[in-house]
Amino acid sequence: MDTLRFLLERRGDIAQMTLEHVFLVAVSIALAVAIGVPLGILLTRRPSLASPVIGFANVMQTIPSLALFGFLIPVPLIGGIGNRTAIVALALYALLPLLRNTYAGIQSVDPSVVEAGRGMGMTDLQRLRLIEIPLALPTVLAGVRISTVNAIGLATIAAAIGAGGLGTLIFRGLSMVDSRLILAGAVPAAVLALVADGLLGRFEKRFGWDR
Amino acid sequence: MKRAKPVVFGALLAAFAAGCTGARPVVVGSKNFTEQVILGEMLAQLLQARNVPVERRLNLGGTLICHRAILAGDLDVYVEYTGTALTAILKEPVSHDASAVYRQVRETYRRDLGLAWTEPLGFENTFAIAMKPETAKTLGIRTISDLKAHGEALRPGAGHEFLEREDGFRGLVDAYDLEFTHRPRGIELGLLYQALMEGEVDFVVGSATDGLIEKFALTVLEDDRSYFPPYDAAAVYRPSTVEREPALAQVLELLEGNLDEAAMRSLNRRVDDEGRTAADVVSSFLEERRWVTPERK
Repeated sequence: MDTLRFLLERRGDIAQMTLEHVFLVAVSIALAVAIGVPLGILLTRRPSLASPVIGFANVMQTIPSLALFGFLIPVPLIGGIGNRTAIVALALYALLPLLRNTYAGIQSVDPSVVEAGRGMGMTDLQRLRLIEIPLALPTVLAGVRISTVNAIGLATIAAAIGAGGLGTLIFRGLSMVDSRLILAGAVPAAVLALVADGLLGRFEKRFGWDR
Repeated sequence: MKRAKPVVFGALLAAFAAGCTGARPVVVGSKNFTEQVILGEMLAQLLQARNVPVERRLNLGGTLICHRAILAGDLDVYVEYTGTALTAILKEPVSHDASAVYRQVRETYRRDLGLAWTEPLGFENTFAIAMKPETAKTLGIRTISDLKAHGEALRPGAGHEFLEREDGFRGLVDAYDLEFTHRPRGIELGLLYQALMEGEVDFVVGSATDGLIEKFALTVLEDDRSYFPPYDAAAVYRPSTVEREPALAQVLELLEGNLDEAAMRSLNRRVDDEGRTAADVVSSFLEERRWVTPERK
């Protein structure tokens, strides 16, 4: 009851930080999609590049998030203290699921369908646009969904470098040994993740083909 | 291979038992900023020089974590500041008589919490509002009151703890009747000055003894309404530990009144500016002061 009253008291803060959080995640995912999806498609055309590029994304994902923020701070242009660094780090983390799913999605398109397209006289670009991308879309969207849910959790750590978001409440709660504050940050973050997962799941279904 | 398992298990059990019966170490704590880590390291090294087993729990996440830990017996000693104890821990109103605050805090700790305070170590570490000298000069800001006129332009930055503490940002804003359009940015303490120098924020709330204030020649605003209580540093310890380890009493006594502000600031600076480790800085300091003899180290 006490916690509930506390959360109500802090609703202004919570709302504001939820917005900051959504902003961090939305921008970084948009960035990761803009890079990851075209790159994933490119890799299906240049398979020799696939293992080094996916390997790089794999390595990014193994770096502990707090350490990655730390590494990025001294980097000129993208680094520094604040949300720019956080967005770059979150985008790097989101890259792997996007790359891998795009690559795998297009690779798994039935070669006979592509062949049929070729037989109809489609150019490479037409086959990509009309056959491969539509068929790979559900897998790509699944990648977007995974990386978004991941990013919502990871973004809480961005408060350490002054990027704002719900992590701010969690860090304050930790420094004050106040579990109500920690909950004030953690619960909305969990709700956000669930909502994002649900929405993107619907999206995925809608764009999927009927099996 | 099958035989080996019980042997390994037995060995582990024996090692565990040995660990339990061995002398209990004195657990030294500190909060999560340079000065605190230095002070924790200093306590630890002085104890080790007297052959007392020590366990370091340095860089803990904040005032209340240290406080809870020492109350629970997970820490034996750490350095606290009288003003912080008064306002953040005991939740008493601010008072500006340094010796009265010290007496009140020591008494309340003894009576209500069963914890003891040493005499003050000799330096004070209050909060300090620092900004780049250029910003201060352009805007004509010298005191905290002067911030009032620039509430729309200035972006504040502070540690997460300060933003949440009763005697922290909210209290400051109330006491000076300030209003900021930009919400204060919560940043890890170690990154505060970097954020200031990179222009991510316009002023930061740091500690008066921070080495980087000197390094960057920052302007520290005068607390013209004396909002911040006196923050004399002194060690808080569990009396039962001193009974068990009399060497701890010797170490605490050695520090009492013997660390002035200049010494503390120079220690902080050696770590923050010269990039040396706290352990390294402390061991050379202890030798300089002849508080340990190099052979015994």
